[in-house]
Amino acid sequence: MAWFDRLRNLLHSNRHSTALDREIAFHLAERADHLTASGLSDDAARAEATRRFGNRTGLKERTRDADTFAWLDALIADLRLTLRGLRANRGFALVAVISLALGIGANTAIFSLINAVMLRSLPVRHPETLLQVAMSNGQDNTFTNPLWEEIRRHNDLFQGPFAYGQDRFNLATGGEARNVSGEWVSGGYFSSLGVPAILGRTIALSDDIRGCAPIAVISYGLWQTEFGGARSAIGKTLTVNSHPFTVAGVLDPSFFGMTVGRQSQLYLPICSEPIVDGGQDGLDGRSNWWLNIMVRPVAGATAAQTGARLAALAPSIMTATLPSDWPPDLQSSYLKRTLTVTPEANGFSSLRLQYAGALRVLMVVVALVLLIACANVANLLLARATVRQHEAAIRLALGAGRARLIRQMLTEAMLLSLAGAALGVIFAGWGANLITSFLSAGGSTAWLALGIDWRVLAFTTAVALVSGACFGLAPAWQSARTDPQAALKAHGRSVVGRGRRQAGWVLVAGQVALSFVLLTSAGLLLGSFRNLTTRHAGFQRSGVLLMQADLVDDTPVSTDAILERMRALPGVRSAALSSMTPMGSRGENGLLSADGFHPANKMDALAWVNRVSPGYFATVGTRLLRGRDIGPGDGAGSSSVALITETVARRLFGTLDPIGRQFRRSMGNNTNPQFEVVGVVEDSKFRSLRDSVGMVIYIPAAQRGSPVKNFNIELRSDIPPGALVNGMKSIMADMAPTASLEFSTLEELVARSLSRDRLLATLATFFGGLALLLALIGLYGTMAYQVARRRNEIGIRIALGAASRRVVRMVLGEVSRVVVAGIVGGVALALVATRFIASFLFGLTANDPTTWVGAIAVLLLVGLVAAAIPARRASRMNPMAALREE
Amino acid sequence: MAKPKNDILQGTLALLVLKTLASRGPLHGYAITAHIQHVSADLLRVEEGSLYPALHRMEQQRLVRAEWGITEKNRQARFYAITPAGRQALTDEEASWARLTSGVRRVLRYA
Repeated sequence: MAWFDRLRNLLHSNRHSTALDREIAFHLAERADHLTASGLSDDAARAEATRRFGNRTGLKERTRDADTFAWLDALIADLRLTLRGLRANRGFALVAVISLALGIGANTAIFSLINAVMLRSLPVRHPETLLQVAMSNGQDNTFTNPLWEEIRRHNDLFQGPFAYGQDRFNLATGGEARNVSGEWVSGGYFSSLGVPAILGRTIALSDDIRGCAPIAVISYGLWQTEFGGARSAIGKTLTVNSHPFTVAGVLDPSFFGMTVGRQSQLYLPICSEPIVDGGQDGLDGRSNWWLNIMVRPVAGATAAQTGARLAALAPSIMTATLPSDWPPDLQSSYLKRTLTVTPEANGFSSLRLQYAGALRVLMVVVALVLLIACANVANLLLARATVRQHEAAIRLALGAGRARLIRQMLTEAMLLSLAGAALGVIFAGWGANLITSFLSAGGSTAWLALGIDWRVLAFTTAVALVSGACFGLAPAWQSARTDPQAALKAHGRSVVGRGRRQAGWVLVAGQVALSFVLLTSAGLLLGSFRNLTTRHAGFQRSGVLLMQADLVDDTPVSTDAILERMRALPGVRSAALSSMTPMGSRGENGLLSADGFHPANKMDALAWVNRVSPGYFATVGTRLLRGRDIGPGDGAGSSSVALITETVARRLFGTLDPIGRQFRRSMGNNTNPQFEVVGVVEDSKFRSLRDSVGMVIYIPAAQRGSPVKNFNIELRSDIPPGALVNGMKSIMADMAPTASLEFSTLEELVARSLSRDRLLATLATFFGGLALLLALIGLYGTMAYQVARRRNEIGIRIALGAASRRVVRMVLGEVSRVVVAGIVGGVALALVATRFIASFLFGLTANDPTTWVGAIAVLLLVGLVAAAIPARRASRMNPMAALREE
Repeated sequence: MAKPKNDILQGTLALLVLKTLASRGPLHGYAITAHIQHVSADLLRVEEGSLYPALHRMEQQRLVRAEWGITEKNRQARFYAITPAGRQALTDEEASWARLTSGVRRVLRYA
């Protein structure tokens, strides 16, 4: 292997060089002998031989080039020189590497999140051929089991079709719920995805029959927590929603299910759904949409062909699964639905939907931070290039090529940025974990594979190389332009012209401009987060404990009695029951109608329905504006009454007094009886704090026709809500022993619903602060350098009688010019940039004047701080000492 | 490393060196220059400055191999010998040289 010889020659370069010297010496000796034989004296012969041989150094270099990798040799020499130089300037190296590590680390952290959430494929066999079956225009991708069974029947159209539905399963045997994420899966799921069991077996096609046995496949994690990783777990029983399931197998730890950001712990066969839910509705219900369907194209077919074949079959599939109980117009639109496929190699993710935009914003933010860091390092390198001008001049005078000097400078830049990247990867590891804990704030754990893979490494390396080139080129160019004559004459004193000074100031002004963009963005996000957390949402978020109860069996419970006992718990001020709770996920809605109300469209008439007990409004802190609350008399036998929100009152009745008026509510094609309005309450948020829908009606829970299966209880207390949990549990154990319970506080739910906003606001503020710090360092460094460079000038001024006030003003003037120029540029940039975060804002606009003025003030202050020390130093300068140095 | 295509001299030098080694057996660098000069009746003079880089490059290309030996005058010298790959290269180079010269000759005669 020739390259191996070369490498060996390179590594043993001394030995190699000696051998070449011997070879040349032999040649010269032979030549001299020859010349002596032709009559020359020994000395003359030796001289003539040497003369004929020519440039021995050039020959040696060329021979060496033939024997080694010339570039590698030069690189090693450059690296040695660079390391020696950096060791001599530890402070410079440290500042540069840490700035870069922060910049590159921030980029790597955000990129590894983007990678995990948006780019990485599912850890399954051939994820690129997975196709998601969707209905109509590709938007709707949940199916009923009859549809799935019908589609599965056409297994000649595609390979390995399978269905799955995500669910939460309760593993507790009673009392407080122990919920885990899981999936209902068809028999083809594991074989089609190529996911093996590391112990036992997976669910197979043969398990996929009606009336199948209750078996479960568990994740590696659940195997560890439930069974301590014991091999005897196979065949043991797990209680799933109070029903025994037999553990059939354990999955590989790398498999997390079909959704990025979610770890499924438990997989149950679809056919066992009736065991858990009681009744065949899950399997036979034709309007029970709970399954996703995946297929792969048959060999040789494309995704488009598969979609076309499925679309051709759609009419017969729809006819076979038509929901017979639907009204005629809905039935005819059902029959018109078509089927299509969409590639789904990356798996779905609500996390992705929720965070994609935020992560993109953060990526831009960290890219700006890196730019600012690069500007700092470029500035440091420029300053260093000035100091090293003398060295460069000597090297140029000795015959070094300018290209060689540029290469040396670039080597230094690359070494710095790669060192920064290496340190940055460590920062990124911490950062990404911190961010994930943000994403999973409030109990719903986000599970992300944040490992560093080739994509992250490639990204980080690319970022390091690009930033190295960014900040390395200008100083390299600068130093190569050195005029050796002038530089040598100046002997170490700076001979830098206006070019270098301006380059430094332009970099700093650029930093100020970018910092301004980051500061305004951070300010806007922070302001909107503050608005979200402090604006009155129609309820009082503190001091409320929520309990969500699900009754497993059909034994009737008396919710009145439960409430009565809860009210008696020490510390409880009020207690109420409701079907919907603020920031909860449950909800029921209907269309409202009233005499004189003509909605422009269906959405105008759509309202949430909350079934509440007396005292609900006082408990969650929603103000009653007019009329009365629901009372104990509003029971099953009495006439139907309702409270409505201001928005409902305005929309249904305009300016008329709503109290005593009637309205109807319809669901499907059933129209409920009339409700009489007895009160009006303020609007309040339900699904999220950004929710603008104020259409909610409150009807007495006691007037519900069917027995209650699930409900929420709210407690307002004077003591920390957590202290009430045990009391509530024991009441429930007494009154409804089989109920599964979940506790949280209203504050927790609000916090969870704001996790994205909190993440954005916190990180943007953090990175904005980082940018500000870097800009401060840049400003200070440049100003300090300017003052040092102009020692003589300032010394002469002071000697000639300039007041120190004047010197200070001169320094401050210079800094403020740069800061103002930067702010002007920053305003222009921010006008464009803040438009991209407009969709994340709440309660303020992208041009919020307070935020902009605040950012300007902060930057001016930072400019002042950065100028203070150099200005002080300049004004205190001893003119004699400065001049004596001349 | 591929040699530059337009460097006729370098290509020729390699051809001459390979031919010399093929006909005379292992030789040291000085003997190669002396031989070429002698056989070409002083028409061709090998520059030492080019010879050693060329020899080392050919060694890297496995066209020649080198080892240290002792000369008649009891000096240590590096002897170069042609390898089978070198013989193959020589055949190719000779053929292409013949084509080149006959082409040049025709052009000089008829153009």
